Amino acid sequence: MKSILRRVVFSLSVLLWAAVILYFYESGRIVKYLAPDFRPLALAGGLGLAVLGLFNLLTAHREVDCGHDHGEGEEHDHEGGDMSPLASLILMTLPVGFSAAWTTDSFSQATLARKGLYDNIQPSDAPFLASAFPAPTREEIENTHSKTADGYLQFSLMELFFATGDRELQDVIGGMQIETEGRIVEEKNDNPNGTRMRLYRMFMTCCIADSRAIPIILEFGKEPPLLPDNGWVKVAGTMSFPEENGTLKAVLEVTRATAADVPPEEKFLRR
Amino acid sequence: MNADARQDFALAFLSILFEGAPFILLGTIISGFIDIYLPAGTMDRFLPKNRNLAVLVSGLLGALFPVCECAVVPVIRRLVGKGLPLGCALAYMLAAPIVNPITALSTWKAFQGQAPLSMTCGRMLLGYLVAVGVGLIVSRISMRRVLRKSIADKVEADAAKEHHGPAHAHEHEHSCCGHDHGHAHSHSHDKADDSRLIAAMRSAQKDFVDVGVYFTIGVAITSLFNTGIAPGAIWLDSLAGNPAAAPAALMALAFILSLCSTSDAFIAATLAKFTWSAKLAFLVFGPMLDVKLIFLYQTVLRRKFILVMALSVFAFIWAVAVAWEMWFGKVVLP
Repeated sequence: MKSILRRVVFSLSVLLWAAVILYFYESGRIVKYLAPDFRPLALAGGLGLAVLGLFNLLTAHREVDCGHDHGEGEEHDHEGGDMSPLASLILMTLPVGFSAAWTTDSFSQATLARKGLYDNIQPSDAPFLASAFPAPTREEIENTHSKTADGYLQFSLMELFFATGDRELQDVIGGMQIETEGRIVEEKNDNPNGTRMRLYRMFMTCCIADSRAIPIILEFGKEPPLLPDNGWVKVAGTMSFPEENGTLKAVLEVTRATAADVPPEEKFLRR
Repeated sequence: MNADARQDFALAFLSILFEGAPFILLGTIISGFIDIYLPAGTMDRFLPKNRNLAVLVSGLLGALFPVCECAVVPVIRRLVGKGLPLGCALAYMLAAPIVNPITALSTWKAFQGQAPLSMTCGRMLLGYLVAVGVGLIVSRISMRRVLRKSIADKVEADAAKEHHGPAHAHEHEHSCCGHDHGHAHSHSHDKADDSRLIAAMRSAQKDFVDVGVYFTIGVAITSLFNTGIAPGAIWLDSLAGNPAAAPAALMALAFILSLCSTSDAFIAATLAKFTWSAKLAFLVFGPMLDVKLIFLYQTVLRRKFILVMALSVFAFIWAVAVAWEMWFGKVVLP
């Protein structure tokens, strides 16, 4: 009876992990947690855990032989854990359960600040991404980017930010009429006239825990329009990469800024 | 903990958990099937008889069986129980997350434009040297000074069984089947396949729960550090130009961040202010020792041994990184 209870408790622990992973995947909220490459792995892991837990739950009553022999007096046990089943259950499930309940799928402003949102923009120095861009000729960039009805080339914020680490790309993109989207917040650095805002997105290599804020500066040339703080916006204008106070910056001189829908990959934000 | 802190912790905690759980599952499924289907001592037959040579070969097994640091611990735990020499097990455990093709590819890709070949080769070579160094030392000390008591007991019992021969092995007190047999009970060798499958799945589940508990604790601690990393980042930046402090600082960062070896190069490549050798130290130390691994290792190793190993590995990698920076750094840096 004790063995059966232990199997059931272990199975429930595994099934809870499976349920949480599969729920986040199925609901689409997984996009806020993992980079695209890791999402199929999470699905496979969740399904694998479900199979493991269900299999062991459904066969918990079966008494089986492990099929090999053991020495005399040997305390041989394929199932006993390092700690009591109850302690294992608590440690396995409570942190996961509380976290699933607490999470809003986003970091607080304080943590975003800690992850570089308001830091001075540094040259990205990430040639591994720069190397993934097409050869930096204007024609090739125009061929690989869509154009809006009013003639702006659509860029991801990531491309603009990482262009700070690629001098050739800066030469091509600088002066281009572009449109991009991101979340808008106050610009706290080098903004004496109050004409600037900051546009950012979070960039994760594997999971959101290793993410960092990817910001560019929005220069309105006048008092910025009233847009929801930390809300999603589409902005269009002329891109430049000036050096200010010894730091290379990515600056968009804005001609159009409007509140925008949350992009599909971000739609599962709960607030 | 206020509401903001709770949401930050929860987000970081779940994301690392989602990232690591599939790899732990993979490792524990393998370990469960090894437990039931792999006869004790099988691994010995794949390795050279010479003890030192066996350790050297074990450090390269990651090239054939690539696993990350989360997955390797349950596998090692089982292989040690199955009679894999401890020095070989430690060499494989420390080297496999680094000396494997996936990690090599990600490192090479991440460091494009930053001497990728030097970084990839340097990482694999230093990782291999550290791993086999630990393996060679461990192969010369008592198993009981290294392994947890329960695992050491099992290994010794298995060794004693082999020594006494199979006749003894057929009469024993047996609890693995979920019920106890009398001392004179004899096992039949003609076991039903489904029984073994169930036993393997139960063993895998038990390993998953064992490792999952420690992983949860490690991830929780990592998340607390991760969401409060900024003051540390400022401190780190201030150390970036110091050839002695920078490697130590980045190793401390790797320890806290607990990144996966298949992806940590992408983080290291963005640490623009740091020297090449400091990044190398980050990439070699992180897959061997971090917050979550400290907890995972406790499923196999004694705490005192983990502490000694951690300090020794830290000191050795730091010394290599400092020496490299002093003598060769300026030559190799892009």
